[in-house]
Amino acid sequence: MWECPSGHDRVTCRARKGAPTVAETMTYAFLILSVITLLGALLAVLLRNLVHCVLSLILFFLGVAGHYFLLRADFLAAVQILIYIGAVAVLILFAIMLTRNVTGTEGPREVFGMKWWSGGVIAAALAAGVLRAVINDPVSQAGSSAQANSSVAEIGKALVGHWVVPFEAMAVLLTAALIGAVVIALEEVMRRR
Amino acid sequence: MSLALGHYLALSAILFAIGLAGALTRRNAILVLIGIEIMFNAAILNLVAFWHFKWHAILTAQMFAIFAVTIAAAESAVGLALVIAIYRHYRSVDVDEMKALRG
Repeated sequence: MWECPSGHDRVTCRARKGAPTVAETMTYAFLILSVITLLGALLAVLLRNLVHCVLSLILFFLGVAGHYFLLRADFLAAVQILIYIGAVAVLILFAIMLTRNVTGTEGPREVFGMKWWSGGVIAAALAAGVLRAVINDPVSQAGSSAQANSSVAEIGKALVGHWVVPFEAMAVLLTAALIGAVVIALEEVMRRR
Repeated sequence: MSLALGHYLALSAILFAIGLAGALTRRNAILVLIGIEIMFNAAILNLVAFWHFKWHAILTAQMFAIFAVTIAAAESAVGLALVIAIYRHYRSVDVDEMKALRG
């Protein structure tokens, strides 16, 4: 039941009496975000035009970021937008422009061919198996808790405190990946000279 | 109906299956990478859901999620560099045409 917080006048409160509870609002937000996420993922996989695929992928990334906000992982939501939409999606767009003509459509393919069916059946079998396990397992019943909260300051302290070794390993990995990506992409050019 | 962990687990399972179907069925190497990104995101969403609903007192799940995002970014950078190198060599990014290592 909605309780009148101090500082609100009675009219605002009465108007809010019929408003949905926090749990209901979370459920609605979850449903809307899930539709966005699933639509983005499906279009990214099914569309013919590669650029359209990346745009749907950005929609999917945005939906996942919204889910992180709903789950109160604010820092991860910001990271999701910065890294995935800001870096990965743009990187994929550049790769498409470097490998295809700018329109970037895939060549003709046999729709509902052998590969399409086998891939679809494998994915559907996996989804059915995992969904069955999720429905039967009691851990699925765990409800949302209002205490779940994380501040950026806490995460920062943990990163340079308890998690400092994996943090440094990540730094080395990113440097290695950067150098490796440049070496792989440049190899042919160097050979030509 | 109030939100439970099972909703997020089901959503992640469906997203993972969509990503897997994309990675298995598409012929363009860039679209295979897009499928892999979708699978990555589904797995990370699972981690964050477990953090929110079960273990919100400790930050371990969020740390794993942050490291997984970092690795996914490095993976996509190297993967796309490979795609560009393959395109320079074969003039194509069709994974069905890359048969040099076929036994």
